[in-house]
Amino acid sequence: MDQIVQTFIIGLSNGLIFALVALGYSLVYGIIELINFAHGDVFMLGSMIALLLISGVFGVTAATPPLMIVVIVAAVILITMAVTATINVTIERLAYRPLRNAPKLAPLISAIGMSFVLQNIALLVAGPANKSIDNILPPVNLLSYIGVNTVELSFRQVFVAVVTVPLLIGMSWFVAKTKQGKAMRATAQDPDTAGLMGVDVNRTIAFTFLIGGALAGAAGVVQILYNNVTVWNLGFRFGLNAFTSAVLGGIGNLPGAVLGALVLGQINAFSDRYVAANWTNAIVFMVLIGVLVFKPTGLLGQQLADRA
Amino acid sequence: MTAIVESERRPGGFGGWLGHISEVLGGIPAGYRDALRQHRTRTIILTVLAILFLTYPILNRFVLQGFSRNVFPLPIPDDTVLTFMLIFSIMAVGLNIVAGFAGLLDLGYVAFYAIGAYTAAFLASPHFGVVSIVLLANVPQGFPGIHIPFWFIVPLAMIIAGTFGALLGAPTLRLRGDYLAIVTLGFGEIVPVVFRNLADVTIRFNFLFINFSAEHLNLTGGPLGINPIDAPYLPGLGIIFNASSGFAPVYLAMILLALGVLFARNLERSRIGRAWMAIREDELAAEMMGVHTVRTKLLAFALGASFAGIAGSLQASYLGATTSDFFQFSTSILVLIMVILGGIGNIWGVIVGAVAIQYVNLTLLPYLGQQIQSIAPSFPNPAQFNFLFFGLILVVMMRFRPEGFIPNRQRAAQLSAHVLAAAAAERGEVIGLDNTGLDIDENVELAPPGQSEVGQDARSAETTDEARDL
Repeated sequence: MDQIVQTFIIGLSNGLIFALVALGYSLVYGIIELINFAHGDVFMLGSMIALLLISGVFGVTAATPPLMIVVIVAAVILITMAVTATINVTIERLAYRPLRNAPKLAPLISAIGMSFVLQNIALLVAGPANKSIDNILPPVNLLSYIGVNTVELSFRQVFVAVVTVPLLIGMSWFVAKTKQGKAMRATAQDPDTAGLMGVDVNRTIAFTFLIGGALAGAAGVVQILYNNVTVWNLGFRFGLNAFTSAVLGGIGNLPGAVLGALVLGQINAFSDRYVAANWTNAIVFMVLIGVLVFKPTGLLGQQLADRA
Repeated sequence: MTAIVESERRPGGFGGWLGHISEVLGGIPAGYRDALRQHRTRTIILTVLAILFLTYPILNRFVLQGFSRNVFPLPIPDDTVLTFMLIFSIMAVGLNIVAGFAGLLDLGYVAFYAIGAYTAAFLASPHFGVVSIVLLANVPQGFPGIHIPFWFIVPLAMIIAGTFGALLGAPTLRLRGDYLAIVTLGFGEIVPVVFRNLADVTIRFNFLFINFSAEHLNLTGGPLGINPIDAPYLPGLGIIFNASSGFAPVYLAMILLALGVLFARNLERSRIGRAWMAIREDELAAEMMGVHTVRTKLLAFALGASFAGIAGSLQASYLGATTSDFFQFSTSILVLIMVILGGIGNIWGVIVGAVAIQYVNLTLLPYLGQQIQSIAPSFPNPAQFNFLFFGLILVVMMRFRPEGFIPNRQRAAQLSAHVLAAAAAERGEVIGLDNTGLDIDENVELAPPGQSEVGQDARSAETTDEARDL
């Protein structure tokens, strides 16, 4: 029982990080029907930038006073989000916007190319080896305070939730309630009509990439503080996990993406624990294929039946 | 005047243009004379290219490599690189069937390459040491493992890879476009994982009276893969085609590629090839016109996969080893880049793409790397960042030249239909002024062979095909 709860907690933390990246896939697919293959790599760049900021620029170690760490982590999250948002918007401008009217597979191929470009930029800058940082979050089991010692809920797992949940809620609020969110939904439904109604379609699409990039950046920071390690090709596997989450939940559907990510986080954790870690990737891909083939609308998707 | 049309209808081939010239001397319209001249030039160029292609491996080994070694270091490919250029050409021709002819983007093509390689590894190595099956192979009787000659493995690998192509293609038939691409990507990732992980398999089967158990079976050699694999061997001449036998494997790969090209070209011009193109252009319309879309798409997957089966079995037999690390997503993308760079849908284009990309990948970048490292050791080696260039190629090609450098005629025609229509009208006028008394349709026949097909694109695919076959 303890083992199952423990696996569940690990899966939940995984799932929350997946959710931030999955939202980026889902937002972009919802609005221009593009599988933004490079999105996972934007996330990877986010973790690299965070690593650089934490250990290089700010020089944070486990010995830094806690209050300083809180301030610095908040700053790192904001800076990384800004940088990855800029990167994502630039990618859209250079690689996707010129192909807006091309056949549907052209932007996908361009995105795959972009993914390799980003990976190799990271490889060029950071080298082929894993890059790691010290764990700067206190290594305590929060459950030990209430007398449970057999299951571990570490501080960093709570940290994951503290960062991701407000972002996810804020994101849903933004898309549902603000004027810009309404423009995004209108463009997703029908870009031409949205344009006629006074929505600046290009700006709205760029804005969608901005938000997606920012979320991926936040996910990158969370991932480096949670796992303390990143590598140049992290984005491929992670990105496919996040994309699978988005598809599982119903791509284009934002709450669906979060739900899909939480489910996939559990699938990952339970597969790692109870099957074998070297089969997890294959299992995730089988989930992806199964959903795409048998239920392409996903768990919560509704409007995309004609696209699959 | 009929004679002109008749001679135009003759089958081509080297020297075919001589027949044209002798038959139509005197009294021929100026436009048609130009056409003949163009056709002749084309034939000469093609003949020269074919001779160069055939003699290049020898030239490369005895002249260019020697020059590079002894006089001045140049980025000259070695025999292994040449072989890999051709192995990947076979793959590119195969992927072109799936992605170019049928328009199904396959991002997991490497899976079939892996299946071909492991077919060779299972059937021509001491891996399954518990049995000893030696069939006409270049190993002594009683040698452990299964040993079947390469010549039988190639068709087997084609069949096995093709079967998997159909099996993996089957569930994707309902999907279109990007979803299909992602599902194939998933298959491409699963297959190498399966090969990597099936190194310690325990099967226990206990049902009713049947009790079967096999423990710790090493099926695939795990992360280490399988080696040694028997090299292809030609009994009559006693040639072994492995990495240390000079340019012989290059010619073996060349022959396999030639057979593949022949097969692909015939497929393209066949009923099934026209069905693929119909599906590519508009699946719904094709179905309404009576194209059996399910069978046609499955055939595209199966036939495309069988080419990767050839390439995989050749690669494994040639290198004498295989591991799952050879078969990564990046390999699928590398083949896709070859197809897109060369010209999606055009067999010659994708071969040029494959040769060019493999040259850059395996010879030029390592060479530049060496040169740079010898001047500035701290500077990054471009060979390690090959996919930076390849990724950029994809982005730039999609942006500026999505049809590739040697585009498929039909696709090029679609892209600039109005320009060509104007040109055809102009040709018609020129010939009309010559007062040949031909009607419009025959005017099209009179156009130079290279261009006539473009003019015919306005007609149905059926007509185009007949005109080409005649």
